[in-house]
Amino acid sequence: MLMTSDIRVGTVFRAGGDVVVVQRMLGIKGGRNGQVKKMRVKNIVTGQTSELGLDMGEKFEEEHLDYHKMKLSYIDGETWIFMDQESFEQYELTKEDLGDNAGYMTPDDDFEVEVAFFNEKPVSVTLPTAIVRTITYCEPGIKGDTSGKSFKPATLDSGIEVSVPLFCEIGTKIKIDTRDGSFIERA
Amino acid sequence: MTVDILCKVVDNFGDIGAVYRLAKALSALDPSLKLRLSVDNLAAFKALEPAVDADAEAQALHGWELLRWGADWPGFRSDPPRLALECFACGRPEPLEEALFAPDRQDVRHIVNIEYLSAEGYADELHLMPSATRSPRVKKHIFMPGFTPATGGLIIDPDFSRAMAVWDQAKAAGREALARAREALTGRLGLGPGLGSGRATGALGPRDEPAGLASRFWLPIFSYERDYGPFVAQAARFAAGEPLAVLAAAGRSQACLVDAWERAGRPFPLVALPFLKQEDWDQILCASDAALVRGEESLARAALAGLPFLWHAYLQEGGHHQVKVAALCDRLAPYFKSAEAAALGACFRALNEREADGPAAGGGEDIGAFLKIARREAFRTPAEQVSPPAAQASPAAVGRSGAASIQASPAAEPAIPAAGRGGYAAFGRALRDNGDLALRLLTFLRALV
Repeated sequence: MLMTSDIRVGTVFRAGGDVVVVQRMLGIKGGRNGQVKKMRVKNIVTGQTSELGLDMGEKFEEEHLDYHKMKLSYIDGETWIFMDQESFEQYELTKEDLGDNAGYMTPDDDFEVEVAFFNEKPVSVTLPTAIVRTITYCEPGIKGDTSGKSFKPATLDSGIEVSVPLFCEIGTKIKIDTRDGSFIERA
Repeated sequence: MTVDILCKVVDNFGDIGAVYRLAKALSALDPSLKLRLSVDNLAAFKALEPAVDADAEAQALHGWELLRWGADWPGFRSDPPRLALECFACGRPEPLEEALFAPDRQDVRHIVNIEYLSAEGYADELHLMPSATRSPRVKKHIFMPGFTPATGGLIIDPDFSRAMAVWDQAKAAGREALARAREALTGRLGLGPGLGSGRATGALGPRDEPAGLASRFWLPIFSYERDYGPFVAQAARFAAGEPLAVLAAAGRSQACLVDAWERAGRPFPLVALPFLKQEDWDQILCASDAALVRGEESLARAALAGLPFLWHAYLQEGGHHQVKVAALCDRLAPYFKSAEAAALGACFRALNEREADGPAAGGGEDIGAFLKIARREAFRTPAEQVSPPAAQASPAAVGRSGAASIQASPAAEPAIPAAGRGGYAAFGRALRDNGDLALRLLTFLRALV
């Protein structure tokens, strides 16, 4: 069984009678023991998207899928093409299918991802929990502030914006957590 | 219609207090409802309602079935759960879970997760949002209490409605009438004439007067452990200009407060209240001039009653409670002039600035501005009423549950006189105009089945 806390972008599970894939995390709301994970999901059978709020205590059946290790080969408009590292076959996923995960990948990356297949069709991607990216833009760093407690926005080479400590500069390589985009450490 | 109401007591009395109030409100709205409560801490329930038998596996209470959490109740099989209210994401007891998710059932069942109260914007977003379970036949939704018309609102049960109405009238009739009403209340509660003397459990300060304490400015304190030294010092300064009586509610804050008060040389009368049943605490709160409240249930009561209040929020990891405090201050701000709103916000923030609860925690607050506003509101006449901001006070504004289609019985919702004592009173009126959470919930449940 899958707990709500295990669910992340790319997770495929049974919500009621529907098999859904999480496309986007819309925040964890609440406090004390009452927390709700708000997310956008896509029904992988009908293609319909909707928002769900799952509280932490709920359990779900994980959908048993086939997983294949692949690398992002190239991007063609809204289509992302992955190559199986064993068979060298190529598979397509749309940017919408990838959801928030799209923002963490570029074709230049060397890391492998796991592409999930449902009924022999690729439906989602699971990223490594931690990846290294380069900051392409942020306000100038504040020298001496190494506390890591104050943050500023930074754009990464994959195009997304994350929060980084004030000491980070353009060109700094950082390790980020792909579950929530949080800064882990300088790489 | 059978409704299972589920409650796990995390700590203190807020969870069970809200659940008890909800059960009373639902029963009053629809006496034909069959309520079945599963509660894990019956001792906590008994503190609020002495009629509860803390040792019983199953019992009848106010016409409801009250079960100990996890009790293997035959009723789960003879009358399987169809509608379950999971209060504050408490989970579900195993026997109910088995009955709810029985694989041979073909009917559709529903779980409604009633979340914690928060003034944060997400309460609007999440209210009535679909959730999910592992079964296609068990549907789930989120129901958010809150301070805006887009949420489920706050519970306005008949007992509390009556308490608000009675004490609003007493306050509108002037301080002498209020004092007489307070004398009657304290006599009924066995607190003796002149609150705190006689059979009361509390110690009294040196300034007790023959007329008793009923005519003083009542300030109940129901909060968490902290260093109450600065609080007492500032209350003492206030007491120099306005006769004050502090009512120290039983529980976590009482010992720290009494200790600080002793150390300060008992600068004003203080009464250490015994633990009161819910309805009696409601009366004390509504009869007061201002209050320091904690958690969510007492916050809701003080806010609804239009009582000037400070809120000591439940401590959360990483200081997240301050986010909740700031959100509440944002809701309150439109009802005050900007300078006052800023001063109140500073009071709220400072009171909640801590990383742990304990006798040495916090203590840097300045409650002077709050007491000044509270005093002005307490003695404001109805003619000095402050109008609430139109956007938040419209009775026509209802949440996504739509207009209430179930009518409360006339006895259940007595009219609340608009005494109008300033910003807090206007905030309270707006919250009451948002509607009763129980009524909205019942409307939603009826729509589900």
